[in-house]
Amino acid sequence: MRLQLENICKTYNHTPAVDHLSLDVPEGIIYGIIGPNGAGKTTTIRMIMNITLPDSGQVLIDGKPPQPDFKNRVGYLPEERGLYKKMTLMEVITYLAELKGCKPGEVKDSAVQWLERMGLGEYRARKVEELSKGMQQKLQFITTIIHKPELIILDELFSGLDPLNIELMKNIILELKRSGKTILFSTHVMEQAEKLCDHICMINKGKKVLDGSLTEIKKRFGKNSIQIEMEGDGAFMASLPGVLSVTEFNNYIELGIDKKTNPNDILKVIIDKVTVRRFEVVEPSLYDIFIDVAKIDPTEFHNKMKGAASA
Amino acid sequence: MHKFWIILKREYVQVVKKKSFILGIVLTPALMIGFSVLPAMLAAKKSSKTEHLAVIDQSEYHIGTSFSNELAEYKLDNGMPYYQVDSIFNLPEQDTAQYQAIYDSLAQLINENVLKYFLVVKPDAPMSDTGIYLVTNSDNFRSLSRFENKLSNILSSIRLNESNVNLSVDSVLSLTRRVNLKTKDAKGDSIPFEIKYFSSIIFIGIIFGMVVGYGQLVMRSVIEEKNSRIIEVLISSVSPFQLMFGKIIGLAGANFTQMAVWVIIGAGLYSMKGSFNIDSSIDRIIFNPVIVIFFVLYMISGYLLYSTIFALVGSIVNTEKEAQGFVMPITMMMILPFILGIYVIQEPNSTTSVILSMIPLLTPTMMMMRVIFIAPTLTEYSLFSGIVGEALLGLLFVCLAVVVMVWITSKIFRIGILMYGKRPTLPEILKWIRY
Repeated sequence: MRLQLENICKTYNHTPAVDHLSLDVPEGIIYGIIGPNGAGKTTTIRMIMNITLPDSGQVLIDGKPPQPDFKNRVGYLPEERGLYKKMTLMEVITYLAELKGCKPGEVKDSAVQWLERMGLGEYRARKVEELSKGMQQKLQFITTIIHKPELIILDELFSGLDPLNIELMKNIILELKRSGKTILFSTHVMEQAEKLCDHICMINKGKKVLDGSLTEIKKRFGKNSIQIEMEGDGAFMASLPGVLSVTEFNNYIELGIDKKTNPNDILKVIIDKVTVRRFEVVEPSLYDIFIDVAKIDPTEFHNKMKGAASA
Repeated sequence: MHKFWIILKREYVQVVKKKSFILGIVLTPALMIGFSVLPAMLAAKKSSKTEHLAVIDQSEYHIGTSFSNELAEYKLDNGMPYYQVDSIFNLPEQDTAQYQAIYDSLAQLINENVLKYFLVVKPDAPMSDTGIYLVTNSDNFRSLSRFENKLSNILSSIRLNESNVNLSVDSVLSLTRRVNLKTKDAKGDSIPFEIKYFSSIIFIGIIFGMVVGYGQLVMRSVIEEKNSRIIEVLISSVSPFQLMFGKIIGLAGANFTQMAVWVIIGAGLYSMKGSFNIDSSIDRIIFNPVIVIFFVLYMISGYLLYSTIFALVGSIVNTEKEAQGFVMPITMMMILPFILGIYVIQEPNSTTSVILSMIPLLTPTMMMMRVIFIAPTLTEYSLFSGIVGEALLGLLFVCLAVVVMVWITSKIFRIGILMYGKRPTLPEILKWIRY
């Protein structure tokens, strides 16, 4: 299923939440919508799902306005999600599948298979409220894909999951992609999008700031970065020749250097001043590109992301 | 349409399979019967012990002795006398010291429950209306009315003897008996007021319970889905309108299931009505087609109106606690007829009553009350005038109100259910209507 947005706008209280946004999501890829909290990701997705009506612009499915069966062909995992606490796992899966147009008996077998795969097999006759939060999260994922949707929209899928389960979900998403599904993946955690997506659309304050395939983006913004893990004070690095930017992370520093500068020269200088544990020349991260393209103050952005991560 | 049925089915099953639903079906009528029948039964309970009396008689007419003789006609079920006059003190008027002594000791006996009553007959008793009084700690109205009757007769005969009328006491009493004024309606029948009153309380009580009870279930169901955050998952599959109406109609189904069970229980009770000693004129209310038809119509339309309002409330609040602020005034609107009803049932055809019963939020209960009071008395019905015409007009207004409410609610609902956190202000809500 190919999904297109044409000049979508939505304004809340005179503030544009989504501002003339156009997207083209081709069939069979993992498409990432990334941006900080409040960038307009969820509003965009709600307009795709016809939950919120756009002020102007239109949504096209395979080149046409959405047909009545559109909602049945989509699996949507909202950021604000939940399940009926008093129903059993099987009841919830069957009920939500029925609402997607499946017959009651149709999904039973695959529901059991999915529950087994997610490690929830023994809970199938239990009530949802007996599950831990992570388990409910996995159950929610099953209900999103049980009706074999052609388009899967995942809004902040990984929030609240442990690394093991994130790995499990990632593998499933890649399988789904291989079987020809289109996946729209929205997140504010750029590292996740970087590891998973084929195509990226960055939005900020309701506007698209960058759009393209991951490899293309990396090539286009092909300036070099160096990641350094070390002991000692790295403050002097900002004044080194050829260093454009310094970003401090928890346990490493990332330097942006211009194309003429040889990373070796940097290493030669710093090795005398600090104890280097790791020195790596890396491609720019999506995060760096975002900061660069959106022309926003990195510290402000960093704080925003931190706030989002802890929220 | 298909998805609407799936939602309807879930809402229905979720309510009907609850233990509280089954308990409510059985307990509510049991409580209703208990509350109405039990007090009447206790009040009607006969005494099984002889009640002891004494008399202080200061008159010269031996009123105490006559009184004692007259009371002998009342017997307990076991054949023993109902009243026993233990002692009669005939005292001259001047002997105040002894009067006081006897009075005090009798009062003492009353407090010790040895005596139930003692009667004080003043010297001027035959000529005064207040010359006799009864000292007692009990207010058994059956005994009091018996005493009053007997004493009236005794005094009448004394007065008769004193006067120059040459007639026997009995014939005077029979000549001066009071008229028994009964009411009949235009049809020439009469339904006792109590029957009309109690049946109207039961009919509108059921409408009230159903509308408020099930309306609130709609609200709770919306709040629960909002709270558990499943609501966005749901409206990614169905439209908010389908979701709202699936709920409203599904719960209406549960409502009708409950009604059906009650009709069966009611029919069972009705078949035993002989043993309840209920006036058979109740048939003219519960089998009156106008009453039955409007009862069903008002229950459905009233439920649709109120449950839509409750769905709206559910969509804009976050918790049931927050909702309570809205529920109170809505419930008050439904309770109003019980208060105003006291006026309406006395003047069901007055302009005020007609106007009150045409306000859509009040129509289901107030118009129902009027229908119950007026419809059985009519000899013929017209669809365009009289109570049937008014009831139909009222129904039309309710239906219009439902359409308007559904339109407003469907606008607010689709936005409200996605708003978490701060409760929206009224201007914000009004803006949603215009989206």
